[in-house]
Amino acid sequence: MSLLTPEVITGSLSQVGSMVLYVFLGALVVEVVVYFVFGKIFKSKYTLPYMLLAPAAIGLTLLVIYPMAYEVRLAFTNMSLRHFRNYSLSLAQGLQNFKLIFAEPVLKQVKFFPLLSRTILWTVINLIFHVSGGLVLAILLNRRMRGRGIYRTLLVFPWAIPQIVAVLAWRGEFHFEYGFINVMLQRIGLQPIQWMVDPFWNFVAACITNIWLGIPFMMIIILGGLQSIPIEFYDAAEIDGASRWQQFRSITLPMLRPILTPAVILGTIWTFNNFNVPYMINKYELETSDILVTALFRAAFEYNRYGFSAAFALVILLILFVFTLTYIRVTGGIKGVYE
Amino acid sequence: MKKFVTILLVSMILMSLVSIASASKVNLVLWTKEGEEPLDWNKSLVAEYMKANPEVSIELVKKIDVEVLREDFLTASLAGSPPDLLWTVNDHAGPFVAADVIEPVDNLFDLSIFVDSALEAVKLEGRYWGIPISNGNHLMLLYNKKLISKVPEDTDELFAIGKKLTQGGNYALVWNQTEPFWLVPWLGGFKGKVFAEDGVTPTLNTPEMIATLKFIHDMKFDAKIIPPECDYDAADTLFKEGKAAMIINGDWSLGGYMGVLGEDLGVARIPKVVATGEWPKPYTSGVYFMLAKGLSGDKLKAAQDFIGFVASREKQIEMVKLLNRLPALKEALKDPLVTENPILKGSSDQMVVGTPMPTVLEMRCNWDSMKPEMLAVLTDTKSPEDAAKAMQTSVEACIKALK
Amino acid sequence: MSLKIKVEQKRVYNFFRRRARGDSPFKRLIIHIVLILACLIAVYPILRVISVSLRPGDRLLSTSLAIIPKDASMQSYYKIIFEKDFLLWLWNSLCITVTTAFIGLVLAATSAYAFSRWKFPGRIPGLLFLLTTQMIPAAMLIVPIYVLAVQLNLINSYRGLALAYSVSSIPFSIWILKGYYDTIPRELEEAARIDGASQMSTFYKIILPLSTPALAIVFLFNFMMAWNDWILARIMLQKEKIFTWPLGIWTLAGQFRVEWGTFTAASILVAVPVMILFLYSSKWLISGLTAGAVKG
Repeated sequence: MSLLTPEVITGSLSQVGSMVLYVFLGALVVEVVVYFVFGKIFKSKYTLPYMLLAPAAIGLTLLVIYPMAYEVRLAFTNMSLRHFRNYSLSLAQGLQNFKLIFAEPVLKQVKFFPLLSRTILWTVINLIFHVSGGLVLAILLNRRMRGRGIYRTLLVFPWAIPQIVAVLAWRGEFHFEYGFINVMLQRIGLQPIQWMVDPFWNFVAACITNIWLGIPFMMIIILGGLQSIPIEFYDAAEIDGASRWQQFRSITLPMLRPILTPAVILGTIWTFNNFNVPYMINKYELETSDILVTALFRAAFEYNRYGFSAAFALVILLILFVFTLTYIRVTGGIKGVYE
Repeated sequence: MKKFVTILLVSMILMSLVSIASASKVNLVLWTKEGEEPLDWNKSLVAEYMKANPEVSIELVKKIDVEVLREDFLTASLAGSPPDLLWTVNDHAGPFVAADVIEPVDNLFDLSIFVDSALEAVKLEGRYWGIPISNGNHLMLLYNKKLISKVPEDTDELFAIGKKLTQGGNYALVWNQTEPFWLVPWLGGFKGKVFAEDGVTPTLNTPEMIATLKFIHDMKFDAKIIPPECDYDAADTLFKEGKAAMIINGDWSLGGYMGVLGEDLGVARIPKVVATGEWPKPYTSGVYFMLAKGLSGDKLKAAQDFIGFVASREKQIEMVKLLNRLPALKEALKDPLVTENPILKGSSDQMVVGTPMPTVLEMRCNWDSMKPEMLAVLTDTKSPEDAAKAMQTSVEACIKALK
Repeated sequence: MSLKIKVEQKRVYNFFRRRARGDSPFKRLIIHIVLILACLIAVYPILRVISVSLRPGDRLLSTSLAIIPKDASMQSYYKIIFEKDFLLWLWNSLCITVTTAFIGLVLAATSAYAFSRWKFPGRIPGLLFLLTTQMIPAAMLIVPIYVLAVQLNLINSYRGLALAYSVSSIPFSIWILKGYYDTIPRELEEAARIDGASQMSTFYKIILPLSTPALAIVFLFNFMMAWNDWILARIMLQKEKIFTWPLGIWTLAGQFRVEWGTFTAASILVAVPVMILFLYSSKWLISGLTAGAVKG
């Protein structure tokens, strides 16, 4: 056992202390530089905002821009196990990588478009259940009743648990003999399901887990939105003789839109890019349970096809980007944030 | 002012002295794939060596499993800061040699003192890439003497005895049904091989493979002597709990089973395949030291010395005692401790009919292609013929991608 | 006359209010049943984890569905605390996470203020860039981040991971904080400036105090994100002594053997404080998440 000896504790604290000091000094230096460059040399009237932004900008450059540039460059190489140190960088090589993504199986058997369709199916199924489940629960909770606080607290559990714990716990529950689902199935007299081995059921298992994980977030968002709808609208509608369903369609849904739009966009992106759930639930690494990002990870780390996977990543990013722009255009719902 | 400058100079000198003193120490970083008892042995080896050689400091880093070790070593090499030494399995040589991140060892050590089969498993492109520590890492038939007194000699006997023993939650035989490592011994028994003569062209869609897949399918669905779903954990637990008479597992598990079953543990060869008259051929390899590329100077000397220390007869015998693994040193094999221990005798008896595990880069494609198809056959979702065909398509695509 | 109509209207109004809120006892019963069922589904897996963690060591795998097993024992808990480096992992996580939450908050609070109050060149592209960062799959950036971290000597130490976490939390935090700042009327700041205050002091003295709910939310999110992360920690921390708890738990759920006892015990020990923290602040979460998105 590693005791939390005083040495260990002081060691950590000194690490923390020195880190804070470095960050502080670094930021100071950056601020001074920005001040002089923008303030004195360019005499810009935007000096202050740039100073405010500078540390974050530098951080993001290091964490996002440089790695992205590295990956873009990598996408034009053939770096892999055989070409680890001496790889070739060229436009032709890059085009070759992109061609390979669409022409050949990404890992062993599955090609790009089936993989993309499966990812889209995964995203759509999850999102439908997330939103409808969240909507139903939020509507049920949006009233004065006893135990409302308790219900809300309990229903948020799946979101509150650390994701890796939840996913590995669910994976345990899909165990053929000892997982509670199969145990209950057997008690009812049904055949136990081979969750980990059968491609179809493995996909279902991943969906079940992710739906369970994702409903609370939607529920909370929608609940917040519902609570901001003035009750007078409903009363007026009642007086005018509108049915509950008509009220829902013409009051609830439109008023939820400003909240739902960013939630759905974020939800879609997070689900599309969800790594933990499909990767961990897929215990035996069935290729049929992979979605785009898990296939990307495997291509990079298990098959060491670094150049190929970089190109692959760019394709995934492009798809998401196009989706987001289209969704924003179609719903026009997010303009407010960027004004 | 003068006082300040003096203090500054003195402290600078002191600091440089300190750094010289610590710089005279040679620091080696050793990554190991071992866990539990073997890891404890790693730790004690390192501690003992450092005590005897105070100018060398070895940092032992445990990697969670072999996959993590492989991934991390490649990533670290990419970044230019790999560890100096590896304590790992033979099939890492394939990818590491392809990526040119390890050193060949023929010129650095006298390899004639080691067992041939152990060396074969790390031979690539005509050179040797690792120093063997233990020999084996192979599957064998382990049985519980309380539940079965005479092990079946061949597969017909296995099915007959098995049917009698499998009832009421007890099974005759358990093994890890999710990894192709457990499939290849039977493939060997049916006279099949995963590679053609050249060692790099895969031969998975063969009559021998189909026969093997049919065999394991029958084991489960006709003779019904194995559990419906069984991974490593489940097999291990069932055997330890006395609910399985026999288990096919590797030499790494011997220590654990001896602890639970003691005298009741028996070791034998996996039963002969009646259809061909051949003994199944589990893959043999072992555990090896590998050196990072570019290791030179003092570090190289220290590494050589440490490896010599571990490969010494004394330490090899210690390993036999503690871990029940067969030594890679020829001399140590002759020691009565090895020749008279019934468990080790059984283990080496099985090894004799084994075959060295291929270590070429393409082997990974074989493993990855066999795994899902084997699972499909065992869940009755694919016929053996279709599975074999799919395996071949997979492996060819995978190898193509490696170019 | 008008008073009578008003009273009548009020009665109708109240009647409809009650009706409109679905008050029939039968409907209420159904609602309660549905909610109870939903809560069971939400909570059951955690109960299972608790029950496995309480099982004695030699019967970890069993088909019993009892929540509290017959011979419940705290064996796994003792094992994880005293035989493994669990406390060390928690301590590492705590140090890194708290630092991350603070640094991330400071960086985001200042940057969001810039985005909210000035229309500087590069503002819209900047915002779009922040949105794009949310779309990047983390798996894509792992290798270059690792290479960069090795070159900057940030591996296997708190600072590398803490800096990575702080920076990766910035886009989401800016989104929330900017939305919140936008709802604070500029007149407040203008009034202060007329009184002679500088731009930055209006930031400290007016904007920040008014934004405490949003700041608290951002702190909480940063904390949760850093506390729970596995993938960045996996590449930045390679030595066991410096593992955070997700890495530590991962070592227990290895490829072949899952140490169910210690794994579930560790999961509970980690999850419980996190959940308490989370649930305690859940009322803020609703307002914080929606305030940024809905324009007042």
